[in-house]
Amino acid sequence: MAVSPSQPWRLAVGGRIDRTKPLRFTFDGRSLQGFAGDTLASALLANGVDVVGRSFKYGRPRGIVGQGAEEPNAIVRLGTGAASVPNLRATQVQLYEGLAAHSNAKGGFKRYAGAAAGLLPAGFYYKTFMAPKGLWMFWERRLRHAAGFGEAPDGPDPDCYDKLNQHCDVLVAGGGPAGLAAALTAGRAGARVILADERAEFGGSLLASKLRLNGGAAADWAAQAVAELGALGEVTLLRRSTVFGYYDHNFLTILERRTDHLGLVAAPQEGDPATGAAPMKKARQRLHRVRAKQVVLATGALERPLVFANNDLPGVMLASALSTYVNGYGVAPGRRLLLCTANDHAYHAALDWRRAGREVAAVVDVRPNPQGALVKEALASGIEVIGGHGLIEALGGRRVQGALIAPLDAAGLRLAGPGQRMDCDLIACSGGWSPAIHLSSQAGAKPHWSPDASAFLPGTPRQANRSVGAAAGTWALADCLRDGAQAGAEAAALACCGDGLPPFQEPRIAWRGTASALANEPPEEPQQALFLAPHPKPVSRAPKQFVDLQLDVTAADIELAAREGYESVEHVKRYTALGFGTDQGKLGNVNGVAILARALGQDIGATGTTVFRPPYTPVTFGAIAGREQGELLDPERRTAMHGWHEAQGAAWENVGRWKRPWHYPKPGETMRQAVDRECLAVRNGVGILDASTLGKIDIQGPDAAVFLDRIYTGGFLKLGLGRCRYGLMLKENGTIFDDGVTARLAERRYLLHTTTGNAEAVFAWLELWRQTEWPELQVYCTSVTDHWATAALAGPRARAVLQKVCRGIDLSATAFPFMAVRCGQVAGVPARVLRISFSGELSFEVNVPAHQGQRVWDALLEAGAECGITPYGTEAMHVLRAEKGFIIVGQDTDGSMTPDDMGLGWAVRPNKVFGFLGDRSLSLADHQREDRLQLVGLKPLDARSVIPEGAQILSTTDVRPPAAMQGHVTSSYFSAVLNRSIALAMLKGGRRRMGETVHCPLTGGQFIAAQVVNPVFYDPDGERQRA
Amino acid sequence: MSEQANAAAVTFRREATKGCLNLRGDPADAGFQQGVAAALGLNPPLPPCTFHQAGDATLYWLAPDEWLAMMPDGVQSEREEELRRVLHGHFSVVDVSGAYQLFRLAGPDAQKVLQKSSPYDFHPHPFAPGSCVQTVFGKTTALVARHPSDVFDLLVRTSYADYVHRWVAAAAEEYGLATEAASHP
Amino acid sequence: MLQIHCPYCQGLRSEEEFAYGGEAHIRRPADPGALTDQAWGEYLHFRKNPRGLHRELWQHAAGCRRYFNVLRDTVSYEILKVYPIGEKP
Repeated sequence: MAVSPSQPWRLAVGGRIDRTKPLRFTFDGRSLQGFAGDTLASALLANGVDVVGRSFKYGRPRGIVGQGAEEPNAIVRLGTGAASVPNLRATQVQLYEGLAAHSNAKGGFKRYAGAAAGLLPAGFYYKTFMAPKGLWMFWERRLRHAAGFGEAPDGPDPDCYDKLNQHCDVLVAGGGPAGLAAALTAGRAGARVILADERAEFGGSLLASKLRLNGGAAADWAAQAVAELGALGEVTLLRRSTVFGYYDHNFLTILERRTDHLGLVAAPQEGDPATGAAPMKKARQRLHRVRAKQVVLATGALERPLVFANNDLPGVMLASALSTYVNGYGVAPGRRLLLCTANDHAYHAALDWRRAGREVAAVVDVRPNPQGALVKEALASGIEVIGGHGLIEALGGRRVQGALIAPLDAAGLRLAGPGQRMDCDLIACSGGWSPAIHLSSQAGAKPHWSPDASAFLPGTPRQANRSVGAAAGTWALADCLRDGAQAGAEAAALACCGDGLPPFQEPRIAWRGTASALANEPPEEPQQALFLAPHPKPVSRAPKQFVDLQLDVTAADIELAAREGYESVEHVKRYTALGFGTDQGKLGNVNGVAILARALGQDIGATGTTVFRPPYTPVTFGAIAGREQGELLDPERRTAMHGWHEAQGAAWENVGRWKRPWHYPKPGETMRQAVDRECLAVRNGVGILDASTLGKIDIQGPDAAVFLDRIYTGGFLKLGLGRCRYGLMLKENGTIFDDGVTARLAERRYLLHTTTGNAEAVFAWLELWRQTEWPELQVYCTSVTDHWATAALAGPRARAVLQKVCRGIDLSATAFPFMAVRCGQVAGVPARVLRISFSGELSFEVNVPAHQGQRVWDALLEAGAECGITPYGTEAMHVLRAEKGFIIVGQDTDGSMTPDDMGLGWAVRPNKVFGFLGDRSLSLADHQREDRLQLVGLKPLDARSVIPEGAQILSTTDVRPPAAMQGHVTSSYFSAVLNRSIALAMLKGGRRRMGETVHCPLTGGQFIAAQVVNPVFYDPDGERQRA
Repeated sequence: MSEQANAAAVTFRREATKGCLNLRGDPADAGFQQGVAAALGLNPPLPPCTFHQAGDATLYWLAPDEWLAMMPDGVQSEREEELRRVLHGHFSVVDVSGAYQLFRLAGPDAQKVLQKSSPYDFHPHPFAPGSCVQTVFGKTTALVARHPSDVFDLLVRTSYADYVHRWVAAAAEEYGLATEAASHP
Repeated sequence: MLQIHCPYCQGLRSEEEFAYGGEAHIRRPADPGALTDQAWGEYLHFRKNPRGLHRELWQHAAGCRRYFNVLRDTVSYEILKVYPIGEKP
């Protein structure tokens, strides 16, 4: 069909569009025009675009079928490059100036399927591509391309997104008549209400309804209701907002599309330097995380298509969708309509079409003798109604050109006579309505089949919610309004407001037909179920009868699955891919279940439906990420001296969330050179390390010592005042959990140090035992990690440097021995100084309140200038401690090591009064094995070769399987002071293997040979740290 | 909805260092209550998630046996000594002045910024002036206290202060954010 | 996403504020040294995993840091009771 920008199918009047605001847009590169108020789908239809995509498997042309979330065919990508958005339903895209849409049309699998091209039956992936093994990878790439999944954006998303936590008394999902009524009664009762609707306008079916409410247009009643709600202070109205997930404890998620309708990238507004206001950048989408006391599910219903031969031809659409395009957008996409239905409601489509001045070929009604008010209205309008007939096949190539109809038996299962051809270029169909029970089902309710409604209805709620209106299978507007109002009042009463709520004034509903004047809403006669129209040929031979349009699943596929032995609806879903598309089978599932039930000879209720899971419609990754990306993805913890390190050009190491200086390269220095320089400075002069990140816990109370005695393997009852002790903390299974130095500050007060990464876990561990197991102990634990900034001075000159700026502490070796703590002033700031050492050198750790940290750091640097004080980072710290054979929990241990494995048996005192956590496990048989991994040192025979950390250890260079692994390297460095490479390793029975030569395989077939040695490489007697 | 370009609908200020003492004891012990009142000039609040303010001191409820006392920087040492002098039995006082950074968040949209940051319900009905809550904030935690007129105090761990600053700046961007220099003690 | 009533902060708080502590009422044996390896192993490793009512330990990690017990239905996720350490109603 020729397409011109003149919008051939646009009606001269009508619709909720603004004809004074034309908008230009492109579709697959073609320039087209629509109006403000259009969706992309309505604009495409207005322009006579019949084919909007190619089908997934078969590459068949497809047109627009629906008008909202249910649309299976019109899946588009907007824009190109980084800002593009894939997988949008054209029916839910609001048109804006310059919109550029791309279809997903690629021609389908069929182009690639080769020998299988003619068939592509159910389970075709498994049958066709899985053998021979390995070939699937080849096919998968081609199939994915062929199937037209769309293109992913190719760069970082330029938009921003955020999340908002919401709390409310009543969340109303869906702003149609039932939802509006519910929000009104709940809001008037004073409840905190959130009303969310996926469309740009509230009102749902009222917007295009021809009923009159209180003498005015239905849409006006909706507008008044929205205005009233907007004026209530505790009501939040969310437009373009889809409630897409319903989780435990009434936690629901809503995706609000805030700027999508304005264009692809929302331009940031200018900032104002005068007021200091930053430039504003509105989040494109917002994820609302809602905790609702009560929920009203007024999500409406989705019309069910009919399944007949070639029902996927462009020009076949849902009856309600056709009404929406005619009434809502002033679009009549054809000349001559054939309507096929099994219910009264669909007659609206024929009446609307007629009112738009178009021709109705006939209404084909499956029911033998339809007599409802709308039927009479149609007859009175001169529309031919053919009862007892069904539409059995659509005719045409790229668009409907006609249809075959035929008389059916009373049950609608068999043909009762020969077919006849009807001329038409548009087919509207309705197989009844499926309540949108998705959220109810997500919340745990099991849907049940109602033969009367021919639909799955929400099951008994498992959470605080209620379904109303069409979502509950209630169709008449008066009933929807009344039930909605009732539900809103009930929800508000339960949530917050008690009884005695204001009554809801039900609006007067009137219908004015063309021929007959009906006082009220036209009553509807019972519908008849029709899930698969019979065809002269058997299902397997008839032209394709599509059940799931998005994934090209046919009635024949489902029958085949049943013949092949599939009985569970969940299995059939996975075998045929029914409902697997991005539309999750909103249109096809019920027909598919019904066809399966019939093939299995059981009723639909027994067959059941598949479980619904979030999201109701696709959600962008951006919205799920929100602001938690880039520098806000994970918090960066900074010490008080962070800015100084940064200014020095420190390279950073991430330790947990902390940023720690790794090393401080000078211009032109390699990392190795910098680390060597820093290490030698500590060994020969003095270095300074930012040690603020170590976990610190203040412990006070009469039972503090008893508490520590139970937590640590060592004894704390006899630790002298002002003295420190190294402690090992075990899990109850006897493995090392943490280590650190604890200082006794006062009679009843201790300061415990944890490793940097374990600070919070240790704190929680202490609280666990204190609160749950030993509540009788009088002890309090308080985290002081953030309170203290810590500068560690290490090296033979450390005392000389500290001497210059320290008051109130006698720093002499006798007055202030190794493993002691003193209080005094450093640089005029009250400080706590610990003489502990992780480098093996003379060392003082100076602790001051964090906000004084930089000041004291500066003073120490100044005091050390003449000694050449050298800041050193974590890498030098690691090398220095490895030279001393000091372990790092989490690097040299992996959660399976006992104290003895690490050569730390000396830190365990077995005969304590209570024992300690984990002690019983140390005597378990497995912990006594002689071939356990034990900490050893390794000296590579080539002193220049540094073994990669993590390398395996072998006894020989024979790596043929089964090569027996002897252990692995945990720490490995070049030691500047020893002028050779060193390593720490865990080796089977290692302590008995001193002197042995072992081999570490590298990638590429090389080995590094190393000698097993004592893990203390430097100053084995510890003279230096006690200096 | 006040989402127009409204100059500085949210103000955010990094406050100067405060003196902070973590306080533990048995609230059922009259001596503990009297001792705290004598040393700090105000009673420890007993209802959960509330705070008391008097003179230069604020006392936040943290847990049934735990409070945070906040005061101008510089006086915490003498107050700590005073507490140790008047309290008896099993108690704990810890100077944590360096552990916290105080921010002040204010303005008509301040509550929205909090909603973007925490799953707690900051609606003034449950969370009235005089309330304080320890909760998740972004990917860290914070103590949030409410004063009248949409003014909130935000107490976060010092090492997370820069993160929180950036987080709030991003969250408040759309409302119009003015950041102010630290106030002087 | 659960919502848990903290018995100390006196309010419903979101699961994000809490840390799960596993099965409740696991008492540490009074005299571990008197236990056989097997009995000690059962204390260490064996936990219930019921379908239905389950007594659990939770900590209000982002709040008051108190541990408490929760009686929860592992099928419906409904929380039937929240009660302090040391009690077992």
